[in-house]
Amino acid sequence: MEHDMQDFAAEVRRFLDAHAAKAPDRTAFTWGEGDDTMAYFSSLPPEEEREHVRRARDWQRIRHENGFGWITGPPEYGGRGLTPVHDLLYDSIESEYDVADTGTLSVIGLGMIGPTILAHAQPHLKDRWLPAMYRGDAIACQLFSEPGAGSDLASVATRAVRDGGDWVLNGQKVWTSVAQHSQIGLALTRTNPDAPKHRGITAFLVPMDAPGVEVRPLRQMTGGADFNEVFLTDVRVPDDHRLGEIDGGWTVALTTLMNERATVGSEGAGPVAAALSPDRLSALMRATWTWDDRALRARLAELLVDAMATEHLNARALRKLRGGVVPGPEMSVSKLMYGQNLTRAAHFVSDVLGPRVIADTGRWGTYAWSELLLATPALRILGGTEEIMKNILAERVLGLPKEPAVATTKEVRS
Amino acid sequence: MTAIESELRELRSSVREFLEAKSPEEAVRKLMESEPRFDPAVWAQAADQLRLPGLVIPEEYGGDGFGPVELGVVLEEMGRALLCAPFFATVVLAAQALLASGDNAACARHLPGIASGRTTAALAVAEDSGSWDPALISARAVPDGGGAGAWRLSGRKAFVIDGTTADLLLVVARTVAGPSLFAVDRQATGLEAEPMQTLDATRAMARLTFDAVPATLVGSDGAGGRVMAKVLDIATVGLAAEQAGGARRCLEMSADYARTRYQFGRPIGSFQAVKHKCADMLVQVELAEAASREAARSAAEGAPDFPVAAAVAHACCSRAYVFAAMENIQVHGGIGFTWEHPAHLYFRRAKSSQLLFGGPAVYHERLLDRLGI
Repeated sequence: MEHDMQDFAAEVRRFLDAHAAKAPDRTAFTWGEGDDTMAYFSSLPPEEEREHVRRARDWQRIRHENGFGWITGPPEYGGRGLTPVHDLLYDSIESEYDVADTGTLSVIGLGMIGPTILAHAQPHLKDRWLPAMYRGDAIACQLFSEPGAGSDLASVATRAVRDGGDWVLNGQKVWTSVAQHSQIGLALTRTNPDAPKHRGITAFLVPMDAPGVEVRPLRQMTGGADFNEVFLTDVRVPDDHRLGEIDGGWTVALTTLMNERATVGSEGAGPVAAALSPDRLSALMRATWTWDDRALRARLAELLVDAMATEHLNARALRKLRGGVVPGPEMSVSKLMYGQNLTRAAHFVSDVLGPRVIADTGRWGTYAWSELLLATPALRILGGTEEIMKNILAERVLGLPKEPAVATTKEVRS
Repeated sequence: MTAIESELRELRSSVREFLEAKSPEEAVRKLMESEPRFDPAVWAQAADQLRLPGLVIPEEYGGDGFGPVELGVVLEEMGRALLCAPFFATVVLAAQALLASGDNAACARHLPGIASGRTTAALAVAEDSGSWDPALISARAVPDGGGAGAWRLSGRKAFVIDGTTADLLLVVARTVAGPSLFAVDRQATGLEAEPMQTLDATRAMARLTFDAVPATLVGSDGAGGRVMAKVLDIATVGLAAEQAGGARRCLEMSADYARTRYQFGRPIGSFQAVKHKCADMLVQVELAEAASREAARSAAEGAPDFPVAAAVAHACCSRAYVFAAMENIQVHGGIGFTWEHPAHLYFRRAKSSQLLFGGPAVYHERLLDRLGI
């Protein structure tokens, strides 16, 4: 296994060396020089956003042409037929290179929806969408969350009613990333309001250009709009676009959620690594004459201990991967820590900056931190709230019993 | 799984098996109230059957020549079992001080005895302030005139782990050239040792008084500061492994209890408040293990960032163990506060380990210093 991994890693490196440059060291910097942005969410103007998506599609096509478009997928749909460990290994090596950010395509569509289509869709849908998605031609989004169904996803209320060979969908979805770029969306709908809430749900693949689908950007507290609301008004979907059994959509949703878990926690790199850079933080203390403040120094040390221990945790997980072993709870723990570390960094820096983070003096590297500060609440919510992540750790890793379920049909009807 | 990992697993399971047999809770409780605070028979078995005292002593001095990674595995297990034994003082502090001194003659004289388990040793650095800062050392040594390497040592030392029982004492004292390392025989005249009352009864500590005690210089005159810095890095990583092992044990106790203890008609572990407490412990324990094992790895590889990794491991594992030990009592409720329950033994060990080498204010500054901040 280990030998096989080394061969695969060498092949990945050959491909990347031929098509990309090595990534620059994002933690190295000189105070006052270069880009000082600390944004976690990159809300771009529409033209730049379209350009970003175009670059993502281009890079996905190159990956696909070279056999890395869908590492775990079956060969008949353009996949490589390898293991999730190969996939994670590819990602870890690719992070060393300067390539287009394909998050728009991959996080939701390729990472979660693709495997769900593969597992539950009828053959004609697989033929139509899977090769297109992994070639970078089609983008998919996840129409799961609703204003009344966030962490408790089984309370979805969007209705689907049978009408001859079609279904008619009505309802509202929320927190939908990349909906504005998507050709298809995987929707969870309520088809049986009288059944226990997990058992009355059906999943459909909805063409995003179908009449009655309306995507509206949802402005978040950072000021930008990285998510959307999707309104479904009398949207007609043929029955052959159903995934899984009627009222059996929860099984489909679980496939997606399991794949979601595999994609979170791998966010260690990225421009925000700069926020935890000892050099940058100490330069900031020098520039603000807080260098000798003992209380701030103690907090800085605590912050760096957490950031470095989290890196050690990632390093261990990576070493396991390279040895062909699927890591244990390291990924979930590092996802939790990642959000907490950035949150702590943002609050530490805001205490160092004082008033300079509440209004822009124009000075380099000061007010720029307000963007990270405003993004931090999201880091404890997205991809499963901190509370849900802790339940998962407690139940799956420590084997603690589940909270007794209180299943009623009333709440989904109201 | 690499071959090395499977060997480490084997080492872990044989040490754990040994400790489960020789250091169960009843044995720990008996020893922590007796003098000496370890069982010489068990120590001899650890040496003869598992060769533990010689694990990381170079082969040329009669040891098995393993490195920090193997040492970490053994210390994790000892921390888990709260083993009462002179291992930390002898192997992690004193033997490492001898090796760090670069004094081959002193190593050849003392290490084979340590490796075989016949000699126990202690390292005396801190004085009444508890600080390991060389600038605060006031014990003094003056040349004896009786011959090369012969000195007379005067002053006081405190917080000396196993200081009343160790056969060999390594003492840092000030000379004209600065802090220097000396070897003192337990039987030397003018040496007095009295046990200190300790928060953690499973780790014996002593106050030593030296009144013109004959001593032998180890390494070069004035090199004590450098030796101490090196030993402190190794010792904090060793301690971190012990802490990670103890913290893991606290987590296991809590999770076991939360699964089986019923209140309000359901296992307490099904309440989210308890569940999240356990998840928070798991997070701390995972970080602690990662930090201590990565530091050991970095020591084994002689990586340039080892001093940083050592400081991170010390801070991270100290915090994790104190947290896990506190929350373990909380999860157990009233029963966790009783003398009969082992939770307080871990709490005592956790708190005193956190403060052993100076505590958070000291290790935070050490980390920043090493990062150039």
